[in-house]
Amino acid sequence: MTTAVAPSDEGRRRGLGAAILVLPGVVWLGVFFLFPLALIAVISLGAVDPSSHITLANPNLDNYGNALRTEYLPAFGRSIYYSVMTTVLSLGIGYPVAYWISRYGGRRKILLLILVMLPFWTSYLIRTYAWMIILRDNGVVNSLLLQLGFISEPLRLLNTDLSVILGMTYGFLPFAILPLYVSIDRLDHSLVQAGRDLYASGRGAFLHVTLPLTMPGLIAAGLLTFIPALGDYVTPDVLGGAQTNTIANIVQTIFLSGRDWPAGSALGFLLMAVTIAGTLLALRSLRSEVIGT
Amino acid sequence: MTFDQALNEQLARAHWTRREFLARVAAFGAAAALTQLLVACGQSGSSPSSVPATTAPTPGGTTAAVATPEITAAPTPVPTPEKELYVLNWDGYIGEHTIDKFQEKYGITVTYDNFVDEAGQISKLTSDGKGGGYDISYPASTWMAQFVSDGLVRQIDHSLIPNLKNLSPAWQSPGYDPNNQYSVPNFWWTTGYAWNPKKIKGDLTSWAELWNPAYKGRIYMLDDVRECFAAAAFQLGLSPNTTSTTDLDAILAKLEEQKPLLRDYTTDHVAGFTGGDVDITHCWSGDWVQMIYTDGSENTKYVIPSEGSIKGNDVMIIPSGAPHPIAAHLWIDFNLDGQISADNTNYIGYMGPNDAALPLIDTYITEDPRLNPPAEELAKLIELQYLQPADLDQYTQRWLALKA
Amino acid sequence: MTGKPSRWLSAFAALTYAFLFAPIVILIIFSFNDSRRTFVWQGFTVDWYPALFHNREVLHALGVTMQVAVVAVIGSTILGSLLGLGLARLRFRGSGAVQTLLLLPIITPEIIMGISLLVFFTQLFGLNGSIAQIALAHVTFCISYVAITVRARAANLDPKLEEAARDLGASAWGAFRHVTLPLLTPGIAAGAMLAFALSFDDLVVTSFNTGVGSTTLPINIYSAIRFGVTPQINAISTIIVAVVSIALLVAWRLGAFRNAARAAVAEADAT
Repeated sequence: MTTAVAPSDEGRRRGLGAAILVLPGVVWLGVFFLFPLALIAVISLGAVDPSSHITLANPNLDNYGNALRTEYLPAFGRSIYYSVMTTVLSLGIGYPVAYWISRYGGRRKILLLILVMLPFWTSYLIRTYAWMIILRDNGVVNSLLLQLGFISEPLRLLNTDLSVILGMTYGFLPFAILPLYVSIDRLDHSLVQAGRDLYASGRGAFLHVTLPLTMPGLIAAGLLTFIPALGDYVTPDVLGGAQTNTIANIVQTIFLSGRDWPAGSALGFLLMAVTIAGTLLALRSLRSEVIGT
Repeated sequence: MTFDQALNEQLARAHWTRREFLARVAAFGAAAALTQLLVACGQSGSSPSSVPATTAPTPGGTTAAVATPEITAAPTPVPTPEKELYVLNWDGYIGEHTIDKFQEKYGITVTYDNFVDEAGQISKLTSDGKGGGYDISYPASTWMAQFVSDGLVRQIDHSLIPNLKNLSPAWQSPGYDPNNQYSVPNFWWTTGYAWNPKKIKGDLTSWAELWNPAYKGRIYMLDDVRECFAAAAFQLGLSPNTTSTTDLDAILAKLEEQKPLLRDYTTDHVAGFTGGDVDITHCWSGDWVQMIYTDGSENTKYVIPSEGSIKGNDVMIIPSGAPHPIAAHLWIDFNLDGQISADNTNYIGYMGPNDAALPLIDTYITEDPRLNPPAEELAKLIELQYLQPADLDQYTQRWLALKA
Repeated sequence: MTGKPSRWLSAFAALTYAFLFAPIVILIIFSFNDSRRTFVWQGFTVDWYPALFHNREVLHALGVTMQVAVVAVIGSTILGSLLGLGLARLRFRGSGAVQTLLLLPIITPEIIMGISLLVFFTQLFGLNGSIAQIALAHVTFCISYVAITVRARAANLDPKLEEAARDLGASAWGAFRHVTLPLLTPGIAAGAMLAFALSFDDLVVTSFNTGVGSTTLPINIYSAIRFGVTPQINAISTIIVAVVSIALLVAWRLGAFRNAARAAVAEADAT
């Protein structure tokens, strides 16, 4: 893995450099991530025996067959719907904010970035509970709307698709803003200026110069939002309701209430497969839509 | 001289080494009984699956000589307890000052760990097959069948828990664990539902109210497969412990019918109900007390439905791998003390099985037939049974299909 | 490009900050709520703050969470930064595989990662969970985030800068130390901040790796929720926000981030 590409001195030095830089992390992930994951892959071929213990006596793929049950399709659909909405919203909100910080933040850039991260230094659960206080029927938003006379009955905001998407967007927005900021901040402004001269409109310059140049940041931000959103089960659990279970919630239930680790592992691996497929699909459509290739 | 006082005396001598202690005990002739206990205690570190001797040491005046002269009638010789105790329980699922009082009394440092949910607790206890390094935990009694057959729990040495006498006769030999050999009951509860009388008029009695379309979007069910299945089973006249496929299909159909009416399957029903998000919620009896603490009794009513319902309890266990089994016995004994048990109940709202605590529990708990139902009412309630993996799977598959 | 942002853009940014801080404001307000439950406002009190110092469980959990976070940040920042730098700077056989390896922990559902580590530690080593075990697990899932952030930064550094330094007589280490490292600092700092936030908040992976005496704050909070979130939890969150805010603000005023900012500017000039 770390052998040099070319047998030159330069190549050998690079090989050594790569070994020093990359090897510790790779070894760590191999031992504490890949190897345990392989154990779970083996367990996913097993079953639970009558004494409630996992048995590998008769390894088979039954758990994967069961995981593909049509009953789970709505949950799969919801997972994808929530993640896509969360990603779109996070990028839609995060891009202008990252742009604003980078271009107009001046000497306060770092402070503004710190402020983006600051809420995330308190517990996620506490913040989610605060959202419950804001969204519930007698909550801040409903009280305000009632007082102002916009509504006569409290709106049901909590335990809905809306509250789940809002909670996820809230949770993943900073993870979108940081990489977007990094890529916008290193943008060469003379290029944008040239684009303005060329296209004679801010919009044209943005679409043809700024956006393509910041595409790596957009992709990174999108992935950092989409992927964890697909696996998130705490937000749908806490802010969602009876009709908002995602496939991650189902995996959770199989593991915990069902105590069926083999079946839970199989569905978990299936979720990973969907995530990888979704990631590739998202990458491709992003590229073709925005870059036009 | 009570057991507790004798123990304090022992603790005053905590700087004794075990050998010194043993030598003195031997010198006074009580060694036979004590050695067994001390050996069991000593072994527990290296071979934790060893079960302590169950023969009670002969009570008598012999131990009096060990302690100070004013101890004249110590009933039981007492082994040296360890200096630490590891407890695994819900956060706040115990009297507000119980831990402090225990530490103060015995000089034992308590490490009180929490888990996220019951599944987290069970996975912790079973991860190494002998309790995950804890001395005490509080599983639901339904787990006892599996824990005993897996060798996960240590036999309780009744001679170290004189307060067992405080257990009411009904709890001296519960069905899940005859003679409390491996566990001691802690809290018990009934399942029912609570509603807001300002929003829903009248005296509700039937499980069908949780299926009432008039309350659409204003209903919570517990996020608990067995409790939800039981609520449907009682309406259909089926057993909440059924393993018949046709029964379970009927139960699933009943729950599918209810799902569109629900706001959520939740474990956060107390906050959600008192916060005004729903008007009626499936809950346990202790939850209702929490609701009253929050919102006042005029805003909540609770009923054990007329079709029948569930009763359940949790237990204190000492896992087979417990590193501090003597301290664990002391903890159980301490929590069976009338006053401590009453403090626990008054704080959490769940009734305990403790007769000595009854006069000390707030009367609005003991005198309320819904929180403390008369014996004939209790006898009609059903306990959830432990399900074999294949049967549990039948429940889980349907539960998942319902939730997805 | 005009020097002033459009009003719409500024208003949008302000609204976004309001969105990010809304729950924080709520939790601060409710930490003064005179009720054992958080959800209904019953009146003003400061009682929860002194009560906090008598709540052994919460204080202990906070201590455990901090210890874990510190180890997780240091470990993952070192390993992740090296990985990110290596991937950005060097072409070597298998770099594609390493990039995929970095994505896997992010893709893996948390519960799978948690259970796989539980099986690994208990079945192979007979370990029952501990602060160290939680920290190991946290380093594992933080590495990827740090590596990806640092790689993004390193990929657009001009290698000519380092070469120029070498031409001017700097040693390889000297060139790295005085040219590359300062330029990488913003990326490393961002990665470390991400790692801290991830570790501080983790519930799922942690819950499978706790052991005696290693209950973390998220676990304590989730466990407490069953009997209602007490305002004490809000109080401790308020204190954490206050301490972190003050620390960062002081550091910012003292110019602790100036080098990072200057490096960012230098880099922008260089490209």
